Amino acid sequence: MTKRSRRFLFPAGVLLAMGAAVAGTRAEQVSPFPHEDHQGLFPVCTGCHEGVEGGVAETVYPEPASCRNCHDGIREETVTWEGASRAPSNVTFDHMVHAAELREAGDAPQSCESCHSSDPGTRMSVDASEELETCWGCHAHETGDHFAPAASCETCHVPLASTGFGLARIEALPQPASHGSELFLPEEHGPMAQGYADRCSTCHTADRCLVCHVDGTLVEITAIPAAPGTMVLPEREAEYPTPSSHVDDGWLNAHKLQVSVRECSTCHTRDDCRTCHVGIVPTAVEELPRRGEVSAPGVGLEARAPASHESLFFLDAHSALAAADGRSCAVCHVESTCIACHDGPSDGGYHPPSFVARHAADAFARSDECATCHSVEVFCRACHQDSGLGSRGRLGSGYHDAEPLWLLRHGQGARQSLESCASCHRQTDCVQCHGVLGAFSVSPHSRDFDAVAAWERSPRTCLACHVSNPVGGP
Amino acid sequence: MAASARLGRAFVSLAILGAAMPGAPGTVAGQGVRGWVGSTVQMVELRPIEQIAGGCVTDEPCYRALGEEQSLAATQDVSLTAWGFGLQGISGTVLLRNRARLGSDRIWPRTDDRFDAILAYAQLVRGGFTVRAGRQEVRSGLGFSSFDGGRLQWHGSSRAISVEAYGGRSLARGLREPLREALRGIESFVPEQGVLLFGGSARGRLRGLSVTARYQREILDDRSGLASERGSLDLSLLTARGRVLGELDYDFGAERPGKARLTWSNVFGDGRWLVEATALRYVPYFSLSTIWGFFEPVAYHGVEGRVAWSPSSVLGVWASGGWRKYGDTGTTAILRPLEDQGRRASVGARWSLRPDVTAGAGYDLEWGPGGFLSSFDASVRMAVSERLAVTGNVSSFQQIEQYRIGDGRGLGAGVSADAEFTDRITLGAGASLVRHDGGGEGPAGSPWNQTRAWMSARVLVGEDPGLANRRRR
Repeated sequence: MTKRSRRFLFPAGVLLAMGAAVAGTRAEQVSPFPHEDHQGLFPVCTGCHEGVEGGVAETVYPEPASCRNCHDGIREETVTWEGASRAPSNVTFDHMVHAAELREAGDAPQSCESCHSSDPGTRMSVDASEELETCWGCHAHETGDHFAPAASCETCHVPLASTGFGLARIEALPQPASHGSELFLPEEHGPMAQGYADRCSTCHTADRCLVCHVDGTLVEITAIPAAPGTMVLPEREAEYPTPSSHVDDGWLNAHKLQVSVRECSTCHTRDDCRTCHVGIVPTAVEELPRRGEVSAPGVGLEARAPASHESLFFLDAHSALAAADGRSCAVCHVESTCIACHDGPSDGGYHPPSFVARHAADAFARSDECATCHSVEVFCRACHQDSGLGSRGRLGSGYHDAEPLWLLRHGQGARQSLESCASCHRQTDCVQCHGVLGAFSVSPHSRDFDAVAAWERSPRTCLACHVSNPVGGP
Repeated sequence: MAASARLGRAFVSLAILGAAMPGAPGTVAGQGVRGWVGSTVQMVELRPIEQIAGGCVTDEPCYRALGEEQSLAATQDVSLTAWGFGLQGISGTVLLRNRARLGSDRIWPRTDDRFDAILAYAQLVRGGFTVRAGRQEVRSGLGFSSFDGGRLQWHGSSRAISVEAYGGRSLARGLREPLREALRGIESFVPEQGVLLFGGSARGRLRGLSVTARYQREILDDRSGLASERGSLDLSLLTARGRVLGELDYDFGAERPGKARLTWSNVFGDGRWLVEATALRYVPYFSLSTIWGFFEPVAYHGVEGRVAWSPSSVLGVWASGGWRKYGDTGTTAILRPLEDQGRRASVGARWSLRPDVTAGAGYDLEWGPGGFLSSFDASVRMAVSERLAVTGNVSSFQQIEQYRIGDGRGLGAGVSADAEFTDRITLGAGASLVRHDGGGEGPAGSPWNQTRAWMSARVLVGEDPGLANRRRR
């Protein structure tokens, strides 16, 4: 055998070896011919399989009628055999082709015993433990590792989808060592598949990819034949290990700069993104397939707050952050998130317990800006008035009784905390004294008050206290 | 209607809602809807006071306390954001609220307003553009501004720059109704005209720095007057171990600076120490459509500082202090001027005794013009199971309301529970009792017990947009 022919033929041996290495190969053959029982009748293989040696297809297997020479129901029980059919196999090895190649190379034909057992108990079987050696006896294996990453599986194997394998044989397919790596699923199998989908297709159908992959249009996936409808595949759960890049605390903020519809859709559906992206939904998100439109479920994310939200004082700082970069908030939040606290029915979440009973000091000091959430005129005043604290159109004496002669001193208090005044008093309360027709006509304006500018801006308000244009003119 | 009947109806509504919603989320989620439906019932006991006719003569009391009454309110919210209207990037958002007054005739604020469409807008996102139309809010350094109208936003491909413009019919601050409707019968000088709002902002980001400048103007719809004209500048600078936050606004209508705040915070020592310092200015804002817009309140300026220390992952303590001083009011002092300085201090701690038990306590002291408050709070929260947490709390306070009815002391205790009934249904309930000791100054100061209770139910539809209690799997 020439070196050239050996290189040419070695894959066939590998194919044979791999095919035979599959556990259960013979177990799934339908009614295998009991060669050992016929050893006496057919002492040599070519007695029945003459065509193998001679390369004549018609005589590779005996005629079905020849069985009936003995199995006629009288001498032997009848058998039903309609002729040879190819047993499920994932190897490309073909006796005829192999024989023809040997002839073309000028090599001597191989004997049947080169591969097949001649032992009485296992006659004609291919010894799995020796098959690689058998093939490699003639065909040098370039890698020395059957599952080497660079192996060209397709040289000897057909895609799983073409094998006709049943569930047991599929489940018994060996797993290369590379698949056992922790990084294989999250990071390694993608690059390994790029350009070598035929290698994957030896043991997988596209259906296996689509158990997890949201985007089934990847070239690596479409290059793998899908299982025929009759093929029963093992049940698989989608697995989505977290890539190392996603674990970093900064990932949440950084991922927008690395968005790639192609890469994200490996694991994520649009629904995943919308777990957070409820407010302003990026266009890239809209381009992802929806859950239900694809067979894979997608990761199924739950929202995660960015690191800034974990700060002890975040609640106090969030208003300034929102004002400076409100669009960041809008990525995840719609306004109802804000309103749930800022104008929500109280469940005791924001203010401390018994806040109603002691909110006055906070309100005076404006440690929180009450008007951010509450309408002073409606919310505060309605409650104060109904509790007897608010003015009801007539300024009664005695309420501010902790400060003697309050009326004469209230100006300073009003300038310091006018919102507190408005939480109980209507504007008419003030006009009773401060209007030009009021009891005292006391000006509430400072010495620097620009009356002309005020009139130009809001003459209607001026007329609440003044009967005419206070700065002259029409 | 009898209070008990109304209360019963509210609880029946809650029960029906709770029973009906579990089947809904899956159906609705398939249509591209996210949101929540929530119901809350609240009760607070009040003891109103009334002025005594003919009182306030010599040593006669001016006010007397009336009997205790319960004020109850129920609210039902529906918050939904929906996609999938056949056009990429289009969505709709609503937040609807229904209110009902229960219990006595004592008014729970806003319960006379039965229904609010707080948000109701459609939005289209295409590339860098976002267009929104309907009832919406702008949240900014100028506060929350609600309006019925449109908004257009654009951001560059790098998202480093964005601008927006918006305008429409202005809604009353905190009320989401046209001003004249919201304040009808409550205020005397409410403009007959509607108010139009216009505004715009520009935002820039460069590495850790974000800056937003905003301008906003409100005018009467017949152009006869200005309601407000304000601008703001806000910045956030993230550093390696901290951040700087700055806020500044200017009231062009009143021609004076508004609020300002500059906060620097930094962590030290492997993140175990957090130090924060703030300089601030505060002055209230009033619309020029009210007379208070021309009353010229003075600002206070102040400083605040906070230190937090977390010696371990289970323990955190903090202390803070602040001081503020009001500007010259320009008023004449009779007898003696009021205080013009205020101070506050607080300390607190939070301790996770066990993974399922967290305790916290805090003491706050506030004194200055208008009031004095000394208060202490403590609470223990225990996760009874993965889906049930119970919190107990106690509080004690003493306050002096300088301009009002004198001293008051209170001692309270409460308990609350939060339960995740299912992954989508959460229930909460709580009750507290505060013993008020008014210090014995007249009938209004006589001791009494104040109870408060609430219960709520929330059902998530689709996924929770509020992001509460959610972690990534």
